[in-house]
Amino acid sequence: MNFEAVIGLEIHVEMKTKSKMFSSSPNGFSREPNTQVTPFDMAYPGTMPVVNKAAVINAIRVANALHMTIDRLIRFDRKNYFYSDLPKGFQITQQFHPIGREGYLDILDRDGKVKRIGIERIHMEEDTCKQLHFASYSLLDYNRAGVPLIEIVSHPEMRSGTEAMHYVEAIRNIVVYTLTSDGKMEEGSLRCDVNVSLRPFGSDKFGTKVEIKNLNSTKNIESALDYEIARQSAILLSGGQVQQETRRYDEASGKTVLMRVKTDAVDYKYFPEPNITPIRISEEFVRDAIDTCPELYDSKKERYVSLGLSPVDAAIILDNLAMSQYFDKALGDGKYAKTVSNLLIVEVNGYLNKNGLTIEQFPLQPEILYLLAKEQEGGFTHKQVVDMFHYCVENEGAKPEDAINALHIAKQSSDDSLVLSFVTAVLDANPQSIADFKAGKDRAQGFLVGQVMKMAKGKVNPGAVAKVMAEELKKR
Amino acid sequence: MNYLDLSIRDIHQALVEKKVTPLELTKEALKRAKENKDNCFEMILEEEALAFASTLTEPEADNLLWGIPYLAKDNFSTKGLPTTASSNILVGYKPLYDATVIAKLKEKKAVLIGKTTLDELAMGGTGTTGHLGITYNPYDPKHERMIGGSSCGSAAAMAAGIVPFALGSDTGDSVRKPASYGGVIGVKPTWGRISRYGLFPFAPSLDHVGYFTRYAEDAAVLLEALSGRDVMDSTSSVKDVDAYVAESEKELVSPRIAVLDDIVESIRDNAIRDAFLDSLKKLEEAGAMINHIRFGHDLLESIYATYIVISCAEATSNDANLDGIKFGPYYEGKTYQEVMSQARTKGFSELIKRRFVIGSFALMRENQDVLFLRAQKNRAKIVERTNQILADNDFIFVPAAPTVAPKLGATSDKLSDEYLIADNHLALGNFAGLPSITMPLGYENGLPFGVNFMGRAFEESKLLSICRTFEKITGICGDYYGKEGK
Repeated sequence: MNFEAVIGLEIHVEMKTKSKMFSSSPNGFSREPNTQVTPFDMAYPGTMPVVNKAAVINAIRVANALHMTIDRLIRFDRKNYFYSDLPKGFQITQQFHPIGREGYLDILDRDGKVKRIGIERIHMEEDTCKQLHFASYSLLDYNRAGVPLIEIVSHPEMRSGTEAMHYVEAIRNIVVYTLTSDGKMEEGSLRCDVNVSLRPFGSDKFGTKVEIKNLNSTKNIESALDYEIARQSAILLSGGQVQQETRRYDEASGKTVLMRVKTDAVDYKYFPEPNITPIRISEEFVRDAIDTCPELYDSKKERYVSLGLSPVDAAIILDNLAMSQYFDKALGDGKYAKTVSNLLIVEVNGYLNKNGLTIEQFPLQPEILYLLAKEQEGGFTHKQVVDMFHYCVENEGAKPEDAINALHIAKQSSDDSLVLSFVTAVLDANPQSIADFKAGKDRAQGFLVGQVMKMAKGKVNPGAVAKVMAEELKKR
Repeated sequence: MNYLDLSIRDIHQALVEKKVTPLELTKEALKRAKENKDNCFEMILEEEALAFASTLTEPEADNLLWGIPYLAKDNFSTKGLPTTASSNILVGYKPLYDATVIAKLKEKKAVLIGKTTLDELAMGGTGTTGHLGITYNPYDPKHERMIGGSSCGSAAAMAAGIVPFALGSDTGDSVRKPASYGGVIGVKPTWGRISRYGLFPFAPSLDHVGYFTRYAEDAAVLLEALSGRDVMDSTSSVKDVDAYVAESEKELVSPRIAVLDDIVESIRDNAIRDAFLDSLKKLEEAGAMINHIRFGHDLLESIYATYIVISCAEATSNDANLDGIKFGPYYEGKTYQEVMSQARTKGFSELIKRRFVIGSFALMRENQDVLFLRAQKNRAKIVERTNQILADNDFIFVPAAPTVAPKLGATSDKLSDEYLIADNHLALGNFAGLPSITMPLGYENGLPFGVNFMGRAFEESKLLSICRTFEKITGICGDYYGKEGK
């Protein structure tokens, strides 16, 4: 390709605070429309904004995770425009003094090398109400009006769809692991607007920028950008000019589609919000917000790997916040981390998938998973532990020892002399099988091992039996 | 003598001694309200007031406002009762909540007997622009003169002696100017002293809850009842509420009073100027130290322009919620733009639209620097100068207005010194958020005029004290038009 892509992202994250950004209204998703509303959310005259402290704490934590400079004076501004989803006729945002400025995020580029992406600003604002449009009318749901948002604006420093995808994944990990947001693109709790332009390699000027909306997964960000870069590249190569416009990604065709051509930018007539006097936050408040911040994704991953997990397994667990929280509890003293992670990834996930449950609904206490791992490392076979696992899941409050008793599970011995005595007895009792084996019937060996397991009532390790059996057969 | 004409403390005494009941007071107030011809009311709450007053049978000895009838400007949110801000865009709007001051007075068991008219959305100083038409000055039964605004209905009702106190709001001088024209006391405390939650905003950085009384002591009673931190208004102050009644009873020792000569000199009405100068002598005799100071002619002249730019800019944003979608009259349209545009075109008067255009213009990207931001810088300069004067003086003391209530339709020369300086200086108190009280001074041909005291932030006790002294000096106490024995 002859061109370099210049990509910048604006990400809006809905915070999952208990109440809204400026009102005491509960902030909950998927409730009956227009039930989570105070007079303020519907812009009744005389109502006034009161800043949500928890939202400020979240914003500080995210800003800190992004290595940003945090403004000690919290200030808000009004963004004025008329729209049916905007109850007050203005949005309260932080135009002039964002809570965080100039930070960065390290991501992997297309070649897997670490690349640092600069972040311009992070600020707090409020969401608009939700609109449902029908043929002859529209409905408005004010439950979403006033939901706290943080907006994170990157510098235009990404160069490929893959980088943009990695950037969004990293941002999502931060907002999810700071417990700021669910970070679900498909549900709109993390929304992403992408700006992309092309320029000849080596140029320091920017080309004409196109905005892409309607990106509801990180994969779509990559695909949309790959397509868009190719589209713009083709235009430029054929001597054409890229139009300044807004496009949306059409998932079915894998293409970006024109939404509207951009005319002059809207003048939002920003000015300071007079109903919120600037709030001075103390060093102690900032420090406390950071110190009490839950462990971040990267730190957890490092910890899991140091405990013996493969990076792939660690990523599987960390893909789900609740799963990692379960895992943290199941880790106990961390001695059996690898075994715990195997049980979690295979057995627990299998059970959840089979029963259509989430980890939050999983009945087994994480401490029991720890004990099961301990049993496996203490000599029980994986299959035995899996049996115990199912017994414990199905019997509330049951511990592995209860499963051992109830299922008559016995630890298998690998003791050579014990194994040998059983093998000798079985061989002595089955001369025909020995003859069959010698005649080339391999199946006979399996039969003999089975006879040993039967005679030993499962108390010996089948691996050890097979090994000794092979040796003894040779001697006969 | 009617109990309704007494000071709140004296009415309270009579209530406690059961010489009169809240129901009797309410009936008398309602009777006066219904007889009044000055167009003071958006709504008289006869049924509600009588029902509530009938429940008040056991006097509360420690609650001065128990059973006292009052009025509220119709830009205070009243739960379940229509609140229009005298604008057609809010006709039929019934708020779901009480403004904090309304809730406080409800808790004190004061009796709300009606909602009063205002200049549409509290924008205006004449009392002529509300959707119910002109509100008249009771002192001119021929209805040739204004009462002033924007708190015109409350001011006129007070001047007509209908209730002992009435709520208003003050963004430029909307309580204190009509108080001067109506011969009553107009109070605007420090910004943040009284919660604004539930007051329909005009320009929040300048808006204040204010009120009218006829006795200086009543002004202290009301401030004590209405002040205090409110979690619903994050700009409300956390400072303790003083015992204003008791504190203001203490006479000040040699208070230092700054007189702004450039304002006094711009007044052409000799009767008003002479009366003012005469009151200075009496204040001196009472022990005050008078300092003649010049504020600065250019700064004073810039008040009006600064006020217009800032207040219109904020107003255009505050009133953007009035779009016909959530409340108020709804008009069908094919698009949301059409729905909003119809509601706003039909709902607002031309004057309001003009203010919105000015405000939008001042906020436009290409104009912000030279208009909005310049006005903010100038406001800061004016505030600095005001506070500088108050660093060496306890009060700033000036005539509240250059004239008695003007005739309706009389046009003032908006570029004259008298208009630019003496007719707009009360906005100093809004720019700086300082406590400011208009006191009646005298009458010219039967029409009242007043003076204004402004003090340091949160020093309302001292301010109320000088006002109580001043009330003794003028001897004007509890007056209203048509009062028995006057």
